[in-house]
Amino acid sequence: MQKHSDEALVAYLDGELDSGERADVETWLDAEPAARDRLLALAESATLLRGAFDEIVHEPVPERLIAAARGQTHGTADGFEAEIVPLRPRRGDVKLSLWRRWQPGFALAAGLAGLIIGGGLTYYGNGMLVPSSRPAGQVQTASINSWLDNAAGNYKLIVNAGGPPLVDIQANGDNGEALQKISQNLPQQVRLPDLKPWGLSFRGARFVVVEGKPAAQLVYNTDNKAIGPLALIIGSSKEPDISPTFDKRQDLNLLYWRHQGRASVLVGQTEIGWLWGIANDVAWQLDAI
Amino acid sequence: MSPCWNKRESPDRAVVHMHPVSARFSDQLIAVLPRLRRFAAGLSRSATEADDLVQAACERALAREHQFQEGTRFDSWMFRIVQTIWIDQLRARDVRKEDGDIAEERLGTDEPVRRVEARLALAEARRAIALLPPDQRATLMLVTVEGLSYKQAADVAGVPVGTIMSRLARARIALQQLIDAGAGGRRSTKDAEA
Repeated sequence: MQKHSDEALVAYLDGELDSGERADVETWLDAEPAARDRLLALAESATLLRGAFDEIVHEPVPERLIAAARGQTHGTADGFEAEIVPLRPRRGDVKLSLWRRWQPGFALAAGLAGLIIGGGLTYYGNGMLVPSSRPAGQVQTASINSWLDNAAGNYKLIVNAGGPPLVDIQANGDNGEALQKISQNLPQQVRLPDLKPWGLSFRGARFVVVEGKPAAQLVYNTDNKAIGPLALIIGSSKEPDISPTFDKRQDLNLLYWRHQGRASVLVGQTEIGWLWGIANDVAWQLDAI
Repeated sequence: MSPCWNKRESPDRAVVHMHPVSARFSDQLIAVLPRLRRFAAGLSRSATEADDLVQAACERALAREHQFQEGTRFDSWMFRIVQTIWIDQLRARDVRKEDGDIAEERLGTDEPVRRVEARLALAEARRAIALLPPDQRATLMLVTVEGLSYKQAADVAGVPVGTIMSRLARARIALQQLIDAGAGGRRSTKDAEA
């Protein structure tokens, strides 16, 4: 009787043998108890292996992978650049005029340029640069994009600066004093959200421009890389309220909303789940005034 | 009116698209994500690394959507992309050293013997596959876990069917021995100490 190899035994288990080969192996198995034991052990280890990886297919797929499958992630393997496009333009098929290309390796210089150019665009944009004939929805979308671009640029500026923080008001342990200075420069009173429950410490504030008006960029630090550093930009706005909405700029997550004349945006590499929780807390604290 | 925290979409919301992606292609990709994650988990050393691998594969697939041939198996095409990226990553690292370190660390642990508990047995199997050479690991995942035929696995790996057969046989025997050694070896040690 022919003695078969392990390859034949494994192929038999996998159903990869033709009928003649299968019959040969079965004859061998009938005659050799040791071969039967080996076959059983191989079958058991295969079952164990399948079980070991079975859980994964029943787990929820992470959001980032679904986004990747939709082509909504940054930094592709093949070096494509991002383009910002409207998900649902409000009117007609006129293309969104404000398209921005984000170059790879966006760093301090780009952040500074984003601050100056984005801020300038925002400052003058609504009244001068945007043609009055443009549909209101597109103007608003462009305005939001500009706002978010600006927020991302400001964030990069402060995070990539290194050395002493580029803040106008340094946190010195007395948040009351910091808040007073911030409020003096803003058209409306703000509250300095306490994010210590999230492990975030207030580091300082910078003055920026949002929708043509002075705004405060509050910077928070933490050792938890999943959360911070995080920036909250608070400004005033005459635009309609917007429900909290998520967006991305390169590797940054942004959550923005407008409520009762106040425009707020959280910016950071913060994981989305944390960002929503923090935003909820911030909104509650700001509205508690 | 308070902000609506459950409503995460806005008519004005802008999203970032990296490629002009056909919805059908994306849907196919999303449907196969759970299996890609499982395959990647068998190749990688951690869940995070596995998901990074899948994400990279998605991005590459979208960039090369035009290369997919209608009528062929989409899952096999994606497995091939995952495996190619993984091999590239292995080559980029000092794989031999890293894998050796892992093996040494795992084989040398004094983990208590509780093989009767199912979850530990499954963990044992996951650890065992991580100790196999990369080629055998990938073949085992494709055929034994993902259920591809030898021919399909050969297409994914870009090798002849005979190579798949021999890799698989070596992998299955080694896996069985590792699982047995994981329990039996430690049991013997414990018995000797007792």
